[in-house]
Amino acid sequence: MSPVSRLQSLLERREFTVSAELGPPKGPNIEVITTKIGLLRGMCDAVNVTDNQTAIVRISSAATCALLVQQGIEPIMQMTCRDRNRLAIQADLFGAVALGVRNLLCLSGDHQVFGNHPTAKNVFDLDSVQMIGMVKRLRDEGLTLGGEPVDGAMPMFIGGAANPFGDPFELQVLRALKKANAGVQFIQTQCIYDMVRFREWMKRVTDLGIPEHVHILAGVMPLKSAGAARYINNNVAGIYVPDPIVKRMSAAGKGQKARDEGIRITAEIIEQVREIPGVHGVHIMAVEWEEAVQPLTEMAGLLPRPVLAEGE
Amino acid sequence: MIVAERKPIAELTSRLAPYRRILVVGCNTCVAVCSAGGAKEVAVTSALLRIALGREHPETRVDETCVERQCEVEMNAELAPSLGNYEVILSMACGVGVQTLAEQFNTAVVIPALNTKFMGRPEGLGEWSERCAGCGNCVLERYAGVCPITRCSKNLLNGPCGGSANGRCEVDPERLPCAWQLIYDRWVALGQLDRYLTNEPAKDWSSSLHGGPRRIQREDIR
Amino acid sequence: MKPYLVLGCDRSASRALADLCRTGYVLPDEVEYRTLPCSGSLDVLYILRAFEQGFERVLVLSCNDDACRSLDGSRRAAQRSARARTLLSEVGVNPRCVSFRQISPTMAADLCIWLDEFVQPLPAEAEPEKAE
Repeated sequence: MSPVSRLQSLLERREFTVSAELGPPKGPNIEVITTKIGLLRGMCDAVNVTDNQTAIVRISSAATCALLVQQGIEPIMQMTCRDRNRLAIQADLFGAVALGVRNLLCLSGDHQVFGNHPTAKNVFDLDSVQMIGMVKRLRDEGLTLGGEPVDGAMPMFIGGAANPFGDPFELQVLRALKKANAGVQFIQTQCIYDMVRFREWMKRVTDLGIPEHVHILAGVMPLKSAGAARYINNNVAGIYVPDPIVKRMSAAGKGQKARDEGIRITAEIIEQVREIPGVHGVHIMAVEWEEAVQPLTEMAGLLPRPVLAEGE
Repeated sequence: MIVAERKPIAELTSRLAPYRRILVVGCNTCVAVCSAGGAKEVAVTSALLRIALGREHPETRVDETCVERQCEVEMNAELAPSLGNYEVILSMACGVGVQTLAEQFNTAVVIPALNTKFMGRPEGLGEWSERCAGCGNCVLERYAGVCPITRCSKNLLNGPCGGSANGRCEVDPERLPCAWQLIYDRWVALGQLDRYLTNEPAKDWSSSLHGGPRRIQREDIR
Repeated sequence: MKPYLVLGCDRSASRALADLCRTGYVLPDEVEYRTLPCSGSLDVLYILRAFEQGFERVLVLSCNDDACRSLDGSRRAAQRSARARTLLSEVGVNPRCVSFRQISPTMAADLCIWLDEFVQPLPAEAEPEKAE
C-alpha cells in the first residue's frame, strides 16, 4: 500500500522525521492558528493538532486540521475517546478525511478532572486500542464498527501514544504491542527526560519486534524553567524529570537563560534518542511555546526538512 | 451493597421548610449497613431536623420510622395507615426506595434524604469503595477479578493509560489505586499475564444503562 | 427548665461532685446534673436529644483514659461529643455548646472551676476568615 501522507512517506524511506505540536486556541481565533503555523512551517514534517488537550475546551481538532491543510501544512489529527462515542468518532473521521486529513493519533484522552469542565460526563465508549482497530477496519475493510460499508475511501496513517514512564512498566511495553496488533503504524511517546527508562522501554519493545512494523517517534518537551520541571515531577503522573536536568535548569537562572538551557537540554535528548535503534523520529511538544521549535530543530541539526517530490 | 451518604442537613431543611408534619422513613437493608439511612441515622437526622425546623416553627412534627426494605412494596405497606397524618415523607433509603415510596403512595410527597452513591463494599471503618458499575455483562473473569469498568477512571478495557504512577491513579492518587496495577499484580500472581495480549474488542454497552433502563423477567419464578 | 446539662460518669465526675458538695458547694441553678453509668455508653443521640428538649449547652465529664473501666469508653465519649458538635453545627448550633472534659474522683477543685466556667456566657463565635 502506498503512503497516504507525507509523514508516512518520510518514515517509510527512513528519514528521521519531526513532528511538532500545535495547541489550538480556546475559541475560533484563526489568527492564533495562522501565527503558530508561521512558527512551525518548514521546521517539521507534520503538525499534531491536540484535541481538547488536558480536557480544556478549544477549537476542534478537525476544524484546525482542515485549516492546516488549506495552508499547506500536514496535520496529525489527535482524537480522544473522552469526548466522543463510536458514532461521533467515525463521523468526525469521515469529515476529516473528506477535508484532506491523513494522519490520525488515537488517544484515550486526559481525564476531565484536570480540565476546565471537571463536572462534565465523560464518554470512554471505546479505548484507544479499540479506536485504532476501528479506524483500521474503516480503512482496510471499508466497514464501520457497526458493520456497514463506508461510502468512500478512508486513507489514513494511524498513530497511537505510549508512555514509557507510566506504570506498570511491563504493561506499558505490552500495550505498545496491543496497539501494534490493533493496527497502529506510528507511535508518539510521552515526553522523555529519563533516558535510562526510555532506553529500557525501547529495548523491550524492540525485543518484541514492534519497530519493524511501527515507527516510533520519541516525544520531547523543552522546559521553560526549573520550576516547570519541579511542577511536572510533583503534579504530572507518568512523566519524570531526573535530578541532573532539574539542577541544570536551576543553574541556568531565570527567563531567557533558562529557556535557552531548556532548548539545549532538549536538543541533547534528541541527539541521544536518534542513536537508539527503532526510533524513527522525534515529536516536539512545545506546549504554548511554539517559538521554541525553530531554535530547537536548528540546534539538533534537524533542519532543513526534506522536500518530497511531486507524487512521492 | 448499595452505598449512600446523607445529604447536608441544610439541604434537607430547605426542602422541608414548607412542611409541618414530616415522616422520616429509614430502610434497614443496605443503607443501614453503610450507616446512612438505618434506624440510628433516622433518629439522628430527625433530632437534627427538629432542632433546626423547630426554631422558626415549634409546631413542626418530625416522626420516625424504619422499614425492612424500602425497595419492596410489601414491606412499605405498614406505612399506609399513618400517611394521612403527614404532609411529606423524607425517605432515608437509596434512590430505589425513594422511588418505590413515590410510586406506591401516589398522593404522598417524597423527598430523598440520601445521595445514593454506588455499589460497593466497606474498606474498614467509615470507608466504602465502589466495585461494580452494573454494566450487565460481567467481564471480571477476563481481568483476574478486578473490574476495569468500575475501577479505572477511564473505564479502559485495554489499559493502563499513561497516568498510572506507583500503583496510583492520577485522577486522585491519594484515594484511588490504578485498576490496571491491581489487574497486573493479580495476573502476575496467577501466572496469567498472557491474557493481556488479547485485545478486548469494543464493549457492547447495550446491556448497561446506556441501552436504556433495564428489566429482568424470569418465567421460572413467576 | 434549666438551660445547662452536665453528663457525668458515675466513677469519676459524680464522686468528685459528691466530694465538692460535702464542702457545702451547691450546683448553680442553671445546671442539671445527670449521672452516666459509664460515659462510654454515651450516645450521640443522647446529646442531640438534650438540645431537642431545650438544653442550650452540654458538658460531658468522662474518666481519664487510663481509668476507664470499659477500656476505651472515655475515648468513645470524646469521639461522640466531637461527632455531636459536628452534627449540631450542621443545624446552626455553636459547636462550643458541647464540651468534653476528663476527670478523676479526686478532682473536686477542678470540677468547681469547670462548672463555674461552664455557666459563663460563651465567647462570641469567631468570624469566618475572609478570603483575601
